[in-house]
Amino acid sequence: MVAITDDLPTRRFSLATAIRRNPTITFGAVLLILLIAIAIVGPSFVGDPLKIAPVYRLRPPSERWWFGTDQFGRDLFTRTIYGSRVSLIVGLSVAVTASVLGLAMGLLCGYFRALDAIVMRVMDGVMAIPSILLAIALITLTRPGLGIVIVAIVIPEVPRIVRVVRSVVLAIRAQPYIESAIAGGTRHVKLLWRHVLPNTLAPLIVQATYVCASAMLIEASLGFLGAGVPPEVPSWGNIIAQGRTFFQIAPWSILIPGGFLALTVLAVNLLGDGLRDRLDPRLARRL
Amino acid sequence: MSGILEVRDLHTQFDTLDGVVRAVDGLSFDLDRGETLGIVGESGCGKSVTALSILRLIPPETGRIASGSIRFEGEELTRLSEEAMKRLRGHRISMIFQEPMTSLNPVLTVGTQIAENVTRHLGVSKRAARERAHEMLDLVRIADARRRLDEYPHQLSGGMRQRVMIAMALSCDPQVLIADEPTTALDVTIQAQILDLMLDLKEKTGTAIVLITHDLGVVAETAQRVVVMYAGRRVEEAPVEALFDNPLHPYTRGLMAAIPRLDTDATRLQEIPGMVPLLTRPIVGCAFAARCPLATDRCRAEAPPVVDAGGGHTVACWEVTP
Amino acid sequence: MTVLAVDRLVKHFPIHGGLLQRQVGAVKAVDGISFDIAKGETLGLVGESGCGKSTVGKTILKLIEPTSGRIVLGGKDITALKPGAMWPHRKGIQTIFQDPYSSMNPRLPAGTIVGEPLENFGIARGRERDERVAALFERVGLRRDAMRKYAHEFSGGQRQRLGIAKALSVAPEVIVADEPVSALDVSVQAQVLNLLIDLQAEYGLAYLFISHDLAVMRHISHRIAVMYLGRIVELTDKRTLFARPLHPYTEALLSAATAPDPRRRRRRKAIVEGDVPSPADPPSGCHFHTRCPYAVAECKVKDPSLREVAPGHHVACHLR
Repeated sequence: MVAITDDLPTRRFSLATAIRRNPTITFGAVLLILLIAIAIVGPSFVGDPLKIAPVYRLRPPSERWWFGTDQFGRDLFTRTIYGSRVSLIVGLSVAVTASVLGLAMGLLCGYFRALDAIVMRVMDGVMAIPSILLAIALITLTRPGLGIVIVAIVIPEVPRIVRVVRSVVLAIRAQPYIESAIAGGTRHVKLLWRHVLPNTLAPLIVQATYVCASAMLIEASLGFLGAGVPPEVPSWGNIIAQGRTFFQIAPWSILIPGGFLALTVLAVNLLGDGLRDRLDPRLARRL
Repeated sequence: MSGILEVRDLHTQFDTLDGVVRAVDGLSFDLDRGETLGIVGESGCGKSVTALSILRLIPPETGRIASGSIRFEGEELTRLSEEAMKRLRGHRISMIFQEPMTSLNPVLTVGTQIAENVTRHLGVSKRAARERAHEMLDLVRIADARRRLDEYPHQLSGGMRQRVMIAMALSCDPQVLIADEPTTALDVTIQAQILDLMLDLKEKTGTAIVLITHDLGVVAETAQRVVVMYAGRRVEEAPVEALFDNPLHPYTRGLMAAIPRLDTDATRLQEIPGMVPLLTRPIVGCAFAARCPLATDRCRAEAPPVVDAGGGHTVACWEVTP
Repeated sequence: MTVLAVDRLVKHFPIHGGLLQRQVGAVKAVDGISFDIAKGETLGLVGESGCGKSTVGKTILKLIEPTSGRIVLGGKDITALKPGAMWPHRKGIQTIFQDPYSSMNPRLPAGTIVGEPLENFGIARGRERDERVAALFERVGLRRDAMRKYAHEFSGGQRQRLGIAKALSVAPEVIVADEPVSALDVSVQAQVLNLLIDLQAEYGLAYLFISHDLAVMRHISHRIAVMYLGRIVELTDKRTLFARPLHPYTEALLSAATAPDPRRRRRRKAIVEGDVPSPADPPSGCHFHTRCPYAVAECKVKDPSLREVAPGHHVACHLR
């Protein structure tokens, strides 16, 4: 019988140390949770975002209208709160849909090389078209609506996910533990499910946060260009677009929703950057 | 003989997520002029950290020399300014590393890199520096040196790159050369060539060498004196013949019995049970006690004294009476 | 009884170049090698980096497809088997990898990794599998409760023990061990080598042991094949190889190897000069002639075949 060897110590998890070591993740996550909370419960505490009151047009921020009013006298505080819903729904749905599609395609491309040659050329083609143009083209083909905006943003975002997942899969395939699993009789489906997929999730999550941020920006840009969700829907892009003409006399109608958009994108990006540093083993090992 | 490098009670520590790692824990040794000193030990014993400490290359964000003294030609290196250290490194003390590809700049020709080192430290003209680079490549026996000067690191084989590293390290006639696992990444036949070259150059230039390695075979064939390290401490020090003929410390003995031999068919290798202690906790008593067949309660409670066995052979052990 | 026979095995990796990615050449990683291994025997495959020894291992495991030649495992020709048809035969041949740090999936517990082959081949499931895995853990010197731990919680030596447990789980006839101890410290290396020797005696395993380290080879192998640029240049039992090496390359390897003996340095003979040539463009004739101190004109043009010069002693050299 051989000697029983000693063990390395197991690290215990503690929330306090986790927060101290990952200030970026903590800050981004707290900010994002706050914004999501506002989007969920906020609308039940404010009035009707569509209520027009021409008497109170273009009022600056005050005690009565915290964020001022727009050219129809609509309360911008109410509209901005409602607008967070649109942005977050678009950002999160695009991130989730694009991740699921991109993960499936990336896994298959990275694993079955015959498929790779064809699919990746299609992806290159999609990526060659500016995503805003592609989205505008898709939207003009149909009736504008939240669903079609999401689809229009998902399509150009998918190749970005596919490329990341595919390159990670290619790197994982070269790992000795994959060869070890094959030599141990593990077959395709299980190999993909148990050995390849779990190891792609970390980079996928990071990429998904960037897609989420970019989707919110594209949604706002589409709204600004008048090609996004219908103009009556209070999205941040629409609010900014409608405030554009009055920027010199009512700058708050652009600056406030613009600031919220920037803050949300910042929160998502901080979360993504923090996760990347945390999940990338090459960077993590330095600490 | 006088000591050119004196290391006294060196403590080098690193901050990690698991706590403070005492990588070097009270190490002392001397290096004489023109000698080859082997520092041998297993991974994590602190041998490479010792080299980095001497050159003051410990990354300041994570580590530090906590205490102790390193005197080079009477000068205290631990208190020297970074500027003064920069003038020293690559000039009076130089270093070669295990992986020559990562220590050479891939976008500069080898000639430029050697010449740069020469101009930086000796302040000679570009032409003279290039001449010196040519001379050095000849010295390390690179065939067709004139042409090789204009080649990039990736055009050279692993053995050739290590020769270039040696040429660069010796280009300013250093008094001390620190070689950290210089042949570990190389094939056996190339390793033999590089070891022979290093010994040969030492004869010619009189540079003292600190050879850091995990390979007892490499030490046996190159060093004059050997320091055996375990868990950041020196457990034994002896002239090379004395160490291999009569290893005293149970760890050194265990290591020697654990190596498969080229010249005999041993039926079974002796194992050293267990593994290296964690350096995040202060070690009470002898660092090897947990794995030592001779360990007593005293070994576990009190650090052993350094015992002089005569003829420059010292050992830190309670149970060995020379 | 022969459990693994390899006959004129060739593996060429194509080199693609130019705008159209046409094949412009080939790396002749393995260039026609033959050997066999008997039950309970260890055949050592020794050579320097780039000599093709690891490619031999991977080809035999059918992790890469051979270019030509024959691989016969337990009497069955597996050379041309497609992955699906190869699958049942994987039970007979297992592997231990060099790098214990990357040969374990970082996201799975050790017990799952070791028990995977049992599950794959339907040998044991559920509680029975756990019981078997626990027994394997204890056999290789690990505690039962280590089954729940992850790769990063083990030391290098312990991970190598896990690799051995996994390879053992399906009771193979042959284990291909590719540099299984070269990443380990000396004291731990001895533990793993002893374990491998014990297991061989216990289960009658045949090992193809791939290493660059002659001393380790001498310790564990029964016969040794020396490879140089894709070919076997000498093959014989270990006692003969160390006592009377015939090929100049074997001689060079032996004289270049360092030994823990300070007096040996003065005995060292002339060592070979220069580097190993590229396997994409190997020298003509005998591949070793560019570095061989004894080379004659014939060596440059004529390829020496591996001949049996004494019973069981094969060498590929014109001069012996």
